[in-house]
Amino acid sequence: MSEFNELIKSFSKSREFVRDFFVYGFKTRDEFAGWSSRTYDNERRRLESWLSGYVRQDYTEKGKNIYLSIDSNLLDTNPLYRVWKAKSFTDNDIMLHFYIIDFLLKEGGRTADGITDGLLDRYGVFIDAQTVRRKCNEYAGEGIFRKTKEGREIVYSLNASPRGLFDEYPALLAAVKLYQLISPLGVLGSTVMENLGFKNDLFRVKHSFFAHTLEDEVLLELLRAMRKESAAAIKLKSSKNEKEHEQDGVPLGIFTSTRTGRRYVCLYIEEKKRFVCFRLDAVKAVSVGDKCTEYGELREKLDKNKSRAWGVSFHNDNRTHTERVKLTVRIDEKTEEHILNRFKREGKGGALSRIAPDIFTYETEVFDANEMLPWIRSFTGRIIKLESDSEKLCRLFKRDFCETYKMYFDAEE
Amino acid sequence: MAEIFSEVYNCYFQVIKSLIEKKDRISKKELDFRIRDEGFEESLFYLFPKLAKDGWGFYEKDGAGVFKSRLSTDFYVPFTDMQRSYLKTILKDDKIRLFLDDKEIDCINAALGDAEPLYLPEDFYYYDRFSDKDDYTDPKYIRHFRMLLEAIENREYLDIDYESRTGQRVRHNYLPCRLEYSIKNDRFRLLAVDKHALRNPRVETLNLNRITQIIPSGETAERLPDINRALKRSYYKEPARILIKNRRNALERAMLQFANYDMHTRKIDGDTYECLIYYNKRTETELLIEVLSFGPMIKVVGNEDFLRLLKERLRRQYAMFEGE
Repeated sequence: MSEFNELIKSFSKSREFVRDFFVYGFKTRDEFAGWSSRTYDNERRRLESWLSGYVRQDYTEKGKNIYLSIDSNLLDTNPLYRVWKAKSFTDNDIMLHFYIIDFLLKEGGRTADGITDGLLDRYGVFIDAQTVRRKCNEYAGEGIFRKTKEGREIVYSLNASPRGLFDEYPALLAAVKLYQLISPLGVLGSTVMENLGFKNDLFRVKHSFFAHTLEDEVLLELLRAMRKESAAAIKLKSSKNEKEHEQDGVPLGIFTSTRTGRRYVCLYIEEKKRFVCFRLDAVKAVSVGDKCTEYGELREKLDKNKSRAWGVSFHNDNRTHTERVKLTVRIDEKTEEHILNRFKREGKGGALSRIAPDIFTYETEVFDANEMLPWIRSFTGRIIKLESDSEKLCRLFKRDFCETYKMYFDAEE
Repeated sequence: MAEIFSEVYNCYFQVIKSLIEKKDRISKKELDFRIRDEGFEESLFYLFPKLAKDGWGFYEKDGAGVFKSRLSTDFYVPFTDMQRSYLKTILKDDKIRLFLDDKEIDCINAALGDAEPLYLPEDFYYYDRFSDKDDYTDPKYIRHFRMLLEAIENREYLDIDYESRTGQRVRHNYLPCRLEYSIKNDRFRLLAVDKHALRNPRVETLNLNRITQIIPSGETAERLPDINRALKRSYYKEPARILIKNRRNALERAMLQFANYDMHTRKIDGDTYECLIYYNKRTETELLIEVLSFGPMIKVVGNEDFLRLLKERLRRQYAMFEGE
């Protein structure tokens, strides 16, 4: 049996484990289907090591379950970033990292052979020249080293210290403290802070979904495709049946819900001639394809269509272009201005009209009216009438309300 | 291709860098403490034996048991291209002008060289974000934002004039503690403590766009109060207790949607789960709206106050359907 190690080689497997522990913290060991008990034990132990302080445990009749308790409103950074910082390495990797950087810092630019000799002379460390060269090229590729040609020789030197920039612009550091918490790929902001040895002592975030960082690897690839205006092939895994399939398309945008925590990639699919959104947490891998010559036009088309999409759907079951929705609500004009404001700020440009004292209508047209159901339900207690081209929406709203009502009142009234 | 999951950002690398850049001599006790503090929970067992001669040799141990670093205290690690690209990315965001002016942004962009931004703001579409965001170009808003940042850094009390939602103007002497950004509202709020309630601090929340004037008091506090304790204390003792029937994917939806609350879920039978959600007065209506949006997929069973609020809404709605 191999020795336990808190570091890992591949991120994708741990992404699944952390997500399961984070989102489904109620599962006991037996309920993590498809994991051997040793795998479960190791992953659980790693999770406890990376995220100590956020891991809690509970005892049920079925056994112990551990879960992550992360109240994002109270934190200065996203603790799940720590998972990204658990990549395993070899003894050579870490020794070369520290000794070469230290050597170049003291000696200035050197060839790979010069560095190899320097490591032996200065630190008594012997690592063969080829390994040193490989590491130097890797770091030049990462942007840590500069690689220049002097005559027939390749000289490696250390790029400038990041501190100078932040000494000159201290407000940039304050900005990083904010963005590491709120921006997509914020994990990179947290590595900037760590590099500089600073912690966020200024900002908090609300309505943030920390689990999003677990998708950053696939997100980065999709963004690379988007920046290159290229097509991509994405490998998707269905959360319902665990089946995998591949989808080709042109990634045009990342659609994010600030309420439900769902994120999607919007693809243009040539054979269907339509925009389709896929959950980002279902994307397992991305490979960037060829440049798409119509990228600009597709993006323009998407921008025009976005205003008619309530959420992420660009078509409906009724085979009509758009569906009309009209909501008649009761709002006390004198005391409930905040409800009127809700329609204005959440209604995505729908028309709000006063038709009688304290009675208002809200009207809009969207591709898929069914997407509005959760939002409409949030006005429960005020809805006089719901009308729509989508019979399904009206039927579901009424049926769900009756069912909800029965859950609370049937026994008493 | 550069990756986020790279040993360059590894926790052990960061811990060692942090150890050597601060001092060239360190006691075993301090090493121990720092690794425990900055590393993962089990890092000490792996890292400590490797630091000296028998491992990677970054330290030499002297006779008194003190560890002497063989690396320079000037040690630094330059940014990777990906980190530079990230910085270029945030310079494209509209909120960056709260921190920097156009000239400074240009200078920083130039200093970051030819790294390309990882994405542009328009690559992301927040489709259900509120439309009444704060105006980050308003000079008064920018001035207030910077004054508040400075006050947090310096622990300085400020006299703040504020216009409440009802149009009432009030002035209080506050100790600003944090600025809170809401992704849903795209706006900032100040989390502050009233000077006169420092002994038993209660966190007040002020929308930045409703602050009309800030006057520095010149008076500073010795330390900032523990606002997490104060915020936690503001949570109702009894959490909202909801039951989730796992149909129409409700469990996954609820787990994700409520993930940014302090919550705890357990399975109570075949397809029913009980979820406890901790909240306070400030988040009560928001939580109620979220619960309502799930319809019959979830059932509130406690606490009594939250249940009463929900039932009131349902009764009102029922009466409206009756009158239809």
